[in-house]
Amino acid sequence: MHIRKRYNYTGYLYILPWIIGFLVLQLVPLINSFWYSFTNFQLLGDPKFLGLENYKKIFTADPTFLQSLKVTSYYVLIAVPLKISFALVIAIILNQNIKGINLFRTLYYIPSILGGSVAISVLWKYLFMNQGVVNNLIGIFGIKAVDWLGDPRYALGTISLVTVWQFGSSMLLFLAGLKQIPVSQYEAARIDGAGRMRIFWKITIPELSPIILFNLIMQMINAFQDFTSAFVITQGGPLKSTYLYGLMLYDQGFKFFKMGYSSALSWILFAIILFFTSLTFRSSESWVHYGDSL
Amino acid sequence: MKKTLVLLLIAALAMGTVFAAGSKEAAAQTGPITLRLSWWGGDSRHTPTLKAMEAYTAQNPNVKLEGEYGGWDGYYQKIVTQIAGGTAADIIQIDQPWLAELASKGDVFATIDSSMVDLSQFDADFLKNYCTYNGKLLGLPTGTNVNTLIVDPAMLASFGIDPNTKWTWDNIITEGRKINAQDKTAYFSGATPDIMRYWFEVYIAQLAGAVVDSNKKVAFTQAQGTEAFTYFKRWFDEGIVAPFSQTSLFYQKFQENPSWINGKMATSWTWVSSMDKDIGARKMETRQFPVMAGAKNSGVLMRPSQIFVVNNNSKNKAEAIKVLNYLFTDAQALELLGLARGIPSTVVGRSVLAQKGMITTMAEKATNEGIAQAGLPQSVYQMNSEVMQVMQDVIDEFGFGKLSPAEASAKLIKNLEATLATL
Repeated sequence: MHIRKRYNYTGYLYILPWIIGFLVLQLVPLINSFWYSFTNFQLLGDPKFLGLENYKKIFTADPTFLQSLKVTSYYVLIAVPLKISFALVIAIILNQNIKGINLFRTLYYIPSILGGSVAISVLWKYLFMNQGVVNNLIGIFGIKAVDWLGDPRYALGTISLVTVWQFGSSMLLFLAGLKQIPVSQYEAARIDGAGRMRIFWKITIPELSPIILFNLIMQMINAFQDFTSAFVITQGGPLKSTYLYGLMLYDQGFKFFKMGYSSALSWILFAIILFFTSLTFRSSESWVHYGDSL
Repeated sequence: MKKTLVLLLIAALAMGTVFAAGSKEAAAQTGPITLRLSWWGGDSRHTPTLKAMEAYTAQNPNVKLEGEYGGWDGYYQKIVTQIAGGTAADIIQIDQPWLAELASKGDVFATIDSSMVDLSQFDADFLKNYCTYNGKLLGLPTGTNVNTLIVDPAMLASFGIDPNTKWTWDNIITEGRKINAQDKTAYFSGATPDIMRYWFEVYIAQLAGAVVDSNKKVAFTQAQGTEAFTYFKRWFDEGIVAPFSQTSLFYQKFQENPSWINGKMATSWTWVSSMDKDIGARKMETRQFPVMAGAKNSGVLMRPSQIFVVNNNSKNKAEAIKVLNYLFTDAQALELLGLARGIPSTVVGRSVLAQKGMITTMAEKATNEGIAQAGLPQSVYQMNSEVMQVMQDVIDEFGFGKLSPAEASAKLIKNLEATLATL
C-alpha cells in the first residue's frame, strides 16, 4: 500500500506542469466564462448578475444567432465529410509502393503544416477574388468570372475548400491505419474472388472505422469552432453567408465587448458540440469495428 | 490521492488569484522611470515617433520610453484587453470614438488640466467636443482629421468628365455614369459596403441632421430614409458604384481592391489621415463633398486624427503627461514628428511645420477645405460599434438587392430602435 502511494505521487509530480497549466489557463477561464454567461460583463467594470437574461435573448431576440447557426451547420456538413473522404482517398493512393512515395506524402502534408494560418487565408482571398487567379484560369476556357467570395451563394463553399485542402493530419492517420490492416486478409479475399470495390467496402472501411470515427469527431469539433479563414477572407460576409459561430463569438466579445453575452454563446456552442459528439459515439456502436470484435 | 488532487487544485487556483491581483498592485517607483507608449500606424508614423521618444530620453536621462506599436488590425481589441487586465501602456493612442466608449465603463483614463499641459495651444471647441467625457478632459488630440473626396483627374478626363467638376448629388450620377457606360469594368466610385455606409450617413445628415441623435433617438423619418436609399439605388443601377458582390471582399480595405489600384475606379470618400495610403501610386487630388440645398448638416466629419490618453493605472501619471506635453508643444519634437499624425492640432505645431515647409500642400488643402465644410460632430450613439453594425447590415442587404428603398428604410429604423434600447 505504502509503495503504491509513493508511486502515485511521482506520477502526479511528472504531470504537474500540465496540471498547473490546465488549471490556471483552462479550468479557471472555463469556470469564469460560465459565471460571466449569467452577467453583463463588458471587460471593463464590474459584471452585473443577469440570471438567464443572456440565454433568453440569444434564443428569442437575436436573428444573427440563428443565421450563424445555420451557416455553421452547413459548413460542418460540407467541410467535414469532404475533408475525410478526400483524406481517405489520398491515403489509399499514397499507400502504394511506388518510387518516391515519401516525397508525395510530404507534399500532401504541407497544406496542414501551413494550417489555418492567416497567410493561407490571404492567399485564398487573392486566388478566388473577382479578378483572381481562378477566374483568370477559367477565363481561358471562356467561362465567365464567378464571384466566388462575393456572391452569398458560393462564399461558404469557397471558404470550406480551405478546410478541405488541409486534409494532411487526417490523411496521416488513415495511412497509419492502412498499414495496420493485415495483408493476409486482402490475400484471402482476392483468392476468394473479391473485386477491388468489394475489398474496399468489406475490408478497408471496416478495418479503418475506428480511425474514421476519430477523424470524424476531431474534425467536427474543429469545424464547429472554425474562425480564421472566414475572419480573414470574408469577415463573415457577403450578407453574413460565412458568418461562422466563432466569428459571431468574436464580434460579440471583442467588437461589441459584450463578454457576458459572448460567454453564453460559447456555452451554447459547447452544448451543441457535446450533443453531436455523443450522438456520433452512440451511432458508432453500429458501424465501428474494433479488431477483437471482427 | 483525492486529497492530493484537491490540494493541487486549490493551490493552482490560489496562484491564479495571486497573479491576477499582483498585476493590479501599483507601487510607487523610485529611481529611473520606465514609461510605455502604445500606438498604431505604419512606418511613416513609427520611425518619427521613436525618434521623438529618443530625443525626450536624451533630455531626461532618468526616463526610459518604450514603444509598443503595430498595425491597425486588432489594435482596439488589444488595448481594451490590456486595460481590463491591468497591463496597458502608460500613454495610449486611441481613436476618437473609443474615448466615450471606454470612459463610460470606468475611470480608465487620467484627467488632464491646464496646470499640466498648455491647453491654450489647442482649439477649445475641439477639446470640448471630442476629448472630454462627463466634463473631464481625458485626452489630447494629435491632429485634425477631416473627410475628403479623392478624385483621379486624368481618369475622369479620359471619360469625358471635367476633372474640375464641383460635385453635386445630381452630377455624380449624370456625369459619373459616363464611366461605366464606356467601360463595363470601370466605375465612378470605389466604394465598398463600408464606404457606402459613410455615404449614406452623409446623405442622411444633410436630409435629417443625423442618423442617431445625442438623445439616443433615430433622427430620420421613414420618408427621409426611403429618399436616401432611392438615391443610392441609382448609384447601383447606373453603374456609379461596383456591385457589392465585387467589392464586399474589400470591406474596410477599399484601397486593396485591384480595380482601385489599377485605376478602374475614379473617386472615393476617405479621411485625410489615410489619404496617402489610399492613393498609393495613383495621381489624385482632393475635392469637396456634394451638399444639397437646405442641408441641415453637411455630414462631413471632422475629428481628432487620434487622441493620446494617459492610463489611469499608470504608476507615473505626472511624468506621462509631461511626455505628452513634450510631444505636443516642443519645437524639436514637433519637427521630428512632422505629419506622422496629420497636421498638428497645436498652434506651435502648425507654425513649426509651416516654417520648415513640412506641410504638404495636398494635406493642407484637403484639411482646410474639409474644415470649411465640416458638419456637426456625430453623437456617441451613432459612433457606437453596435449601431454601426446595424447600419452596415441593412446597407449590405440593400446593396445586394434584397431590400427595396422603402423596406431598407423601415428595417433600418426598426433595428436601430431595438439596438438603441439596449445601450
